[in-house]
Amino acid sequence: MSKYWMLFLSAVTMIAAARPAAAAKVEVGSCLAGLPKFSTIQAAVSGVPPFSTILVCPGVYPEQVTISQPLTLRGQGINNMDRPVVAVPQSLPGGGPGLKVNVTSINGEPFAAQVLVQNVTPVGKVTIIDMTVDGTGGNLGCPAGTGLAGIFYASGTEGSVEGVTARNQQNSGCGFGIWVENGAGPNQTIIVGNDSVHDMDSAGIVALSNQNPPTLAVTIETSSVTGNNSTQGIVSEGVSGTIYSNIVTGGAIGIVDVDFFQQTPGIATSYNSVADVQAGAGIGIVVRGGSTATHNKISNVLTAFYLQGGSAANPGPTLLANTAKNTALGVEFNCTANTTLNSNFNDSQVGFDNVPSGTSLPTAIYNIDTIKTGSCP
Amino acid sequence: MSRYLGWFFLAVVMLAASAPLQALQYEVGGCRTGSGYKNFTTISAAVAGVPAGVTILVCPGVYPEQVTITQPLTLKGIRSGNANRAVITFNPNGNQAPNVTSMLGPFYAQVLVQNVSPAGAVSIVGITVDGSGINLGSPPPYVAGIFYASGTSGTVNEVTARNQMNGGVGVWVENGSSTSDTLTIENNSVHNQGFGGIWANAATSSTLTATVSGNFLSNLSSGGAIELLIAANGEISGNVVTSSPYPTSSAIYADGSVVISGNLVADVNKGIGPTSGTTVKSNKLSNVRTAMALPSEDTGAITSNTIMNTVCAIDFFGGASSSGTMSGNVINDSQYGFAGWSGPTITGNAFYNIDTIQTTSIPCPGP
Repeated sequence: MSKYWMLFLSAVTMIAAARPAAAAKVEVGSCLAGLPKFSTIQAAVSGVPPFSTILVCPGVYPEQVTISQPLTLRGQGINNMDRPVVAVPQSLPGGGPGLKVNVTSINGEPFAAQVLVQNVTPVGKVTIIDMTVDGTGGNLGCPAGTGLAGIFYASGTEGSVEGVTARNQQNSGCGFGIWVENGAGPNQTIIVGNDSVHDMDSAGIVALSNQNPPTLAVTIETSSVTGNNSTQGIVSEGVSGTIYSNIVTGGAIGIVDVDFFQQTPGIATSYNSVADVQAGAGIGIVVRGGSTATHNKISNVLTAFYLQGGSAANPGPTLLANTAKNTALGVEFNCTANTTLNSNFNDSQVGFDNVPSGTSLPTAIYNIDTIKTGSCP
Repeated sequence: MSRYLGWFFLAVVMLAASAPLQALQYEVGGCRTGSGYKNFTTISAAVAGVPAGVTILVCPGVYPEQVTITQPLTLKGIRSGNANRAVITFNPNGNQAPNVTSMLGPFYAQVLVQNVSPAGAVSIVGITVDGSGINLGSPPPYVAGIFYASGTSGTVNEVTARNQMNGGVGVWVENGSSTSDTLTIENNSVHNQGFGGIWANAATSSTLTATVSGNFLSNLSSGGAIELLIAANGEISGNVVTSSPYPTSSAIYADGSVVISGNLVADVNKGIGPTSGTTVKSNKLSNVRTAMALPSEDTGAITSNTIMNTVCAIDFFGGASSSGTMSGNVINDSQYGFAGWSGPTITGNAFYNIDTIQTTSIPCPGP
């Protein structure tokens, strides 16, 4: 039998299977007329047919939610209010926050995810729109690196997180706003857009893949991440895709593309604004070999760009049409080979540190006390 | 004689006159020497001693002087060897009296552009103006890194203005005269000012057109970062204003028919303060207590802005009776969407995570 026939039969089977449990529209809370009602988000995401839309009324929902089928979870604006908040459940009898560790990340760390997307069947997207996830009171103390995540898309899942607020994921230095990952298996696509992430104590948005080539393509766009102290804003590790038009301020690192093992393709970081990154290393954007950073604006940070991962045998980072002002250091080359750099720098104590020989430096530089420092082997 | 012949003769005369000058360049600091250069040791001596209209190259180094420019020219910082910063600093042994009276009051200007004759543009490129050490007490007098007085025009490009504390402004341009002035202030780094960043101010009887674009400003302590006041018009675009938690003023403020577009404002108390006739579009604001603070005038057009992580997204603190054109804005994560608003429901914007969409109270008082 040809594979076309297989596809056809498969489609017929899927349609037949879907019919008995047609996608529905329901609400959580009671603010809309004429819809089936659930009192908790968990009851709704477990109780609806796949591909349903769940409208969540404004209010506070102290629960830990696991989503394991494709659906849309959408906050509902009504009666002058538009904020449904997933909050930390009340304490367990033994004390401490009422959050349980419910997932292990592909890098082996246990996590308590406030909203967990995992083992989604049938295959399909989970979309979360217009929801707030608040981690207040959820500090587990970070034992053995146990993380707290506002929203966690586990390996093998896909979908989008849009117009979400993730806040107050404070967990003794292991708190994350939004965490998405994919290990071995089919390629997945996840969109993180128009989100507001702040008051976490580790990182705002994390995207992770441990496969080469990457099995996760992300689009992280038009979101706002506000950090503080030692936090990192947007972290991509071994994934492909784009980090586009975000605003990242505060913390120790704005946007970092971690060099896992030089997966290609890398990530395209463009049109972001990074500012006020003054804690610790105070790095605006970390760019690895094989990735690109273009049209970003960086202001009031210690080091605008930190490069890593290029070698004589591997592609270097590419930085074009960026603008950095008011820095202590423009680019820490870190002796990264094969770097392409053409960007505009104004107002830096040092322009470029540890530049490999033969690297051509940009000419659009202004008000740089010392253009080059350091040396490379 | 036909006017074409006239042009021909004029061109010949110009060529003849400029021939010896073409070979000569003007330099301050001694990093470029030789018969092709006329050297100066101070910027003040150079700006007074060169022919009108030329470019003065300023070598990396520190220049503790107060500079007054009274003829059209370009002052340009250059690279030499491994250095690329020419810094004009305070001269503690110099005159510390105000050197110009602005529309606001007396100013101590580190670089003053005034009474330019013949008429023409003064351009300042790639220079640092550092106000460290200037302390004239409580203002007035105010302090300005760069000051374009009434009747002057030109460009401030890729400059760093820093440490104008104690009532200090990075770049101040004004026009109280009857001439039309045009100022372009772009790609500058402006930070650590005690008062404001880039201010343009005009009398109602004058014309001042200011283009303020691509500047990055931070750490301003009391006034607004970018202000186009009274009759100043033009655009404020593509600037990045951050880390300035001053209590009352908006980071970007404009009177009248100014276009405020494509700016990023973050980590400040108040974001953008438009007035009647102001267009505010495609700006991004994050971690701002009040994103838009609207005064009593009917509002202009506020469209396609992205506002995240605020207490008040749009605050009609002045009691405006019209919401103007307000559409296409994306607002996520705010305690209040429209504050101080008692009019009809405002539609056409995308809301996410707003505790109270509309309230008549003013929980976030305006400037």
